[in-house]
Amino acid sequence: MTSMGLSWTFLLACLLVAVTAVLLCFGALVTTYDAAMAVPDWPATYGHNMFLFPFAEWFYGPWDLFLEHGHRLLGATVGLITLALAAAVWLREPSATVRGLVVAAVLLVVVQGALGGARVLLDDKTVAKVHACTGPLFFAVAVAIAALTGRSDMGRTSPALVGQASRLPSSQRPALRVAVALVVAAYMQLVAGAQLRHLDAAAVSPATFRWLVALHLAGAAAVAALSWTAVPLCWSHRTPARRWAVVIALVVACQLALGAGAWFVSWGVPSGLLPASWVPSEPIAARSGRGAAIVTGHVVLGMMILGGSVALAISAGLFAKSPARGVA
Amino acid sequence: MTPETMPRRSSIAFAGLIVCLAALTGCGKTPPAYFRPNMVEATKQRLTPDQEKQVATILLAMFGTPDEPVCLPETGLDEAKLRLAAGPVRSDIVGRKNGLYREHCGHCHGVTGDALGPTAAFLNPYPRDYRPGVFKFKSTERADKPTHADLVRVLHKGIPGTSMPSFALLPAAQVDALAEYVKYLSIRGETELTLMRAYFELDDEAQGSLPETREFLIDETLVTVADKWKAAADAEIQVPPMPADIDLVASIAKGKELFYGDKANCVKCHGVTGLGDGQANDYDDWNKAIVEIGKELSSGSAAARETSTSGMSPDELSEHRAQLAWLDKFGRVLDGDALEPRTIPPRNLRHGIYRGGRRPIDLYYRIHAGINGAPMPAAKGTVPPEEIWHIVNYVRSLPYELDGELGADKPMLARDRF
Repeated sequence: MTSMGLSWTFLLACLLVAVTAVLLCFGALVTTYDAAMAVPDWPATYGHNMFLFPFAEWFYGPWDLFLEHGHRLLGATVGLITLALAAAVWLREPSATVRGLVVAAVLLVVVQGALGGARVLLDDKTVAKVHACTGPLFFAVAVAIAALTGRSDMGRTSPALVGQASRLPSSQRPALRVAVALVVAAYMQLVAGAQLRHLDAAAVSPATFRWLVALHLAGAAAVAALSWTAVPLCWSHRTPARRWAVVIALVVACQLALGAGAWFVSWGVPSGLLPASWVPSEPIAARSGRGAAIVTGHVVLGMMILGGSVALAISAGLFAKSPARGVA
Repeated sequence: MTPETMPRRSSIAFAGLIVCLAALTGCGKTPPAYFRPNMVEATKQRLTPDQEKQVATILLAMFGTPDEPVCLPETGLDEAKLRLAAGPVRSDIVGRKNGLYREHCGHCHGVTGDALGPTAAFLNPYPRDYRPGVFKFKSTERADKPTHADLVRVLHKGIPGTSMPSFALLPAAQVDALAEYVKYLSIRGETELTLMRAYFELDDEAQGSLPETREFLIDETLVTVADKWKAAADAEIQVPPMPADIDLVASIAKGKELFYGDKANCVKCHGVTGLGDGQANDYDDWNKAIVEIGKELSSGSAAARETSTSGMSPDELSEHRAQLAWLDKFGRVLDGDALEPRTIPPRNLRHGIYRGGRRPIDLYYRIHAGINGAPMPAAKGTVPPEEIWHIVNYVRSLPYELDGELGADKPMLARDRF
């Protein structure tokens, strides 16, 4: 524990979440700008050791190179932090759940790094899709570790983790169910979104794309319904769950607007959904900074919703023990 | 754990399974990009599988693949530009980007330029199918190809009122390369159409196979298509300048007279209000082709259903079955290789959105030459140039015309009504 009562594992986990969030932003930008193949080799960067690639050439170089090499450097940093966290957890954390999650994090970060390399070496969009789906999964695990090792959670919602069998009031069960469903729905949304983002014009027909859009819209409706349902269910909780539920509900509302914006800046006004007079008089500028920010923001916010949902689920009692039959 | 233990392990395992499966969505190596054959035309021409294969082989030799384009000198295309635009997206250490077409255009126009990109069905109007070699917004006569500058202009400015964005933020060399690649796809598509239609004219000696000679493939087919593109460079419409001392009010009044008169007869489609409500049931050439095939299929299916097979000779029965198989195949081809036809509404001239550009000269081109592929006819030959300028002036005044004639209680800007 530090002098403030925070554990080193918690601090490391928070650092991991923060750096992973930046890594995800870079990853999303790499896709937005189609910059994945800005560096054709891996794990080297244009023949240099990744860490020894000239800083000036990277930082002041072409935008695509900046994004892709930056993504790699951040990925390596996340890998190192994950290993440090794993060591800290193994030395200081008695909880089997946290240990299990850290093992999952190490496995995921290794797999994710390999997928990133395979995406480049094979120049394959399918690998890119899987890479895009594994990133948020790792982020969710990192958030879970941070939430479980956090001081407040250690003391209140998840005492089971420190070996005390606590009871989860049965009144909190609906909130937990909704929170877990929200985690799954938010992740599935990211998976559906990845299929739309990493669209292979050579392999996807208009009919398939229509199904993907329908799936993404249905997912959006599910996430919105679950996040807004979580607010009244968590309102009576004396845990951070209430705060998380409110924040997620608000962020989801923003996310819906961003989703509409992302469609608009990518493909204009969708046919049949809006009157012709809504069509803007000026064409959209392809590759504009504003457009990239909207599209990337939509992806990043989706990942943040997933992370928030994990924190909500843990605050609502995930991994805590529930009352035995008849006790509630 | 008891059955009520929260969270139930089975639930967590199930959620985990879903998540893992989702993460692996779409696993499998992406196949290399390829040019889709024009199956609608192949089926319409009743090509056999061998004939389809022959066309594909010829096109591969002439044009290569989306990743490795071939540029024969007869096309007049610049191979260096094509290589910049073709292939998968990548960039080098100094930021030179390749694969521009797939990065910026393929999602809507398709890798083949067949307007069957993934997003195409959601766009209105549909993206342009380059294969027939028909382009709307250009500075040449109706039947001519656009100039290179016309294509660059469309890419640079975008098409207002549609999903076609402006690529003004791209470097000029990239826009130039994209325009060249559009020509490449168009020449390839038109050559494919020509080859498929050539089977119809084969004599018995050919035994259902196209002659694979330089004379036929290059001189008669490729050069014929490519020369039309080359000729476009010198085919720009010579526009007499609008008289500098023109009385704009009088010109607008004259233009209005022409708009509603029999000579230009714009009112027929654009309507008495100019709202584009004159007629709403026409199609552009791309959609009309699909509509006509659909009608042919419907009538063919109805005739086949009504045909009694009793009393047919073996040959007639075989022919009847072949017809049914063809109808069945055509139905499936249309489902996969054509989008639901849409009518093309005439432009609402009171919005002030002009797809081909808002400069007076752009409107002049549209009125003079019409819009190729669309029902908009050419006024050339009917309306003299100075009168076309009057119509241009009237059309440009329509978004600002005070609305006395539209039935409003008080004067108002017409565009406020919509």
